[in-house]
Amino acid sequence: MASSTTGEKKILTLKGGDNEEFILEESLVLQSELLKNMVKEERVSSIPLPSIKSKTLVKIIEYLKKHAELTPSNKEEFKNFEKEFVNVVLEELLDITVAVNYLKINGLLEFCCQAVADRIKDKSVEAVRKIFRIESDFTPEEESEFRKETPEAFEGDLDDTTN
Amino acid sequence: MNYFERLPEGCILEILSHTTPVDAVRSCILSRGFKSALESEIIWERFLPSDYQEIIERSEFSPSVCTTKKELYFRLCESPILLDGGKLSFSLDKHSGKKCFMVAPRELIISWGDNLNHWQWKPHPDSRFSEVASLSSVRRLDIRGKIGTKMLSPKTDYSAYLVYKLVDNPYGLESANAIVRFVDYESDTDTENQANTVKLETLPESRRNGGYLQFKNGKFASMRADGWMEVKMGDFNSKKGGDGPVEARLIEIKRLHLKGGLIVEGIEFRPK
Repeated sequence: MASSTTGEKKILTLKGGDNEEFILEESLVLQSELLKNMVKEERVSSIPLPSIKSKTLVKIIEYLKKHAELTPSNKEEFKNFEKEFVNVVLEELLDITVAVNYLKINGLLEFCCQAVADRIKDKSVEAVRKIFRIESDFTPEEESEFRKETPEAFEGDLDDTTN
Repeated sequence: MNYFERLPEGCILEILSHTTPVDAVRSCILSRGFKSALESEIIWERFLPSDYQEIIERSEFSPSVCTTKKELYFRLCESPILLDGGKLSFSLDKHSGKKCFMVAPRELIISWGDNLNHWQWKPHPDSRFSEVASLSSVRRLDIRGKIGTKMLSPKTDYSAYLVYKLVDNPYGLESANAIVRFVDYESDTDTENQANTVKLETLPESRRNGGYLQFKNGKFASMRADGWMEVKMGDFNSKKGGDGPVEARLIEIKRLHLKGGLIVEGIEFRPK
């Protein structure tokens, strides 16, 4: 019963979009539903992920490692790590979100979506447009009509900062 | 390029459902794409409390009058529905979508409440309930209302309010004490000493500009949009709903002068 499995840890290679290779323990990628199915059903040892930039992949692997080490005693530390994890420029955050959505890492996807949502919360329309580079396709008349219909959505101290 | 165009549709819906209802309504104005995304049933279903169907089943309200979840959401924000045969009313907080309840006067514990010399029970044109409690005269004023923390939205800061009106010439009601306690582990007597003073009258017009909104340890009453007045009795956090019932209590039992002219509509528990 005391047999050790440490010597037989399975190794897997992930290949990022720019052909950079990442070698990691197979157990780590099982957090991704997509990779788990590939590993279990096709018994592959190398998985190309051409749509994911290496930079993004590095971040995601960093998360998988931290998440695998999560125990009740370092919960606080993990929370801080998560906070820092999404504290990146929007473009990078969206790259991560798209990749995590593709890889189906459910807990992290929800966390990323919350982080993107937090960049919309309590912001003025003008600020959100600037931050996400959204161009309005409403006429000014339509827009003012809309503001009149739901005045409560435009009341209060809305944040105008765009960082 | 619009950053959102890089995201798959499922992701966009997930993101928007992590904002608040008021953010979502505001985001409709961003562009036509957002407006149509924000009509999604998925988003509004998320903004509704997870147990909204069970709650509605306790009422006579028929949700089929609303064709979309969004419509249902705003219907529940704008007009409260009565539960359990009128013992309780339920509505949603427009900004957060969190649950608000008002305990009907008949469900409150009012000392001398069953004595017609002190309290009268009658219908009121502005009331959502079938009867209100009208105080003619009493020395010991003591009103309690209870709700299970399990029924509330989890992990939310709540406040309890006494909702009422004053007749033209109320007396003895200049101030009272209010307390909110967790019934299971905070005793009546311990909390009595921590009570806050509340003023059942609104701040006189003449003093409103003088920065006198809050006096020491207490609050003045304010007018509500539904024609009633309210005064905050205290705050608490619903946590995970495991703290058992929470009780809000209004008392003036130390100064035993006569009090009269209070019409009680209920005790409301809503997000802070």
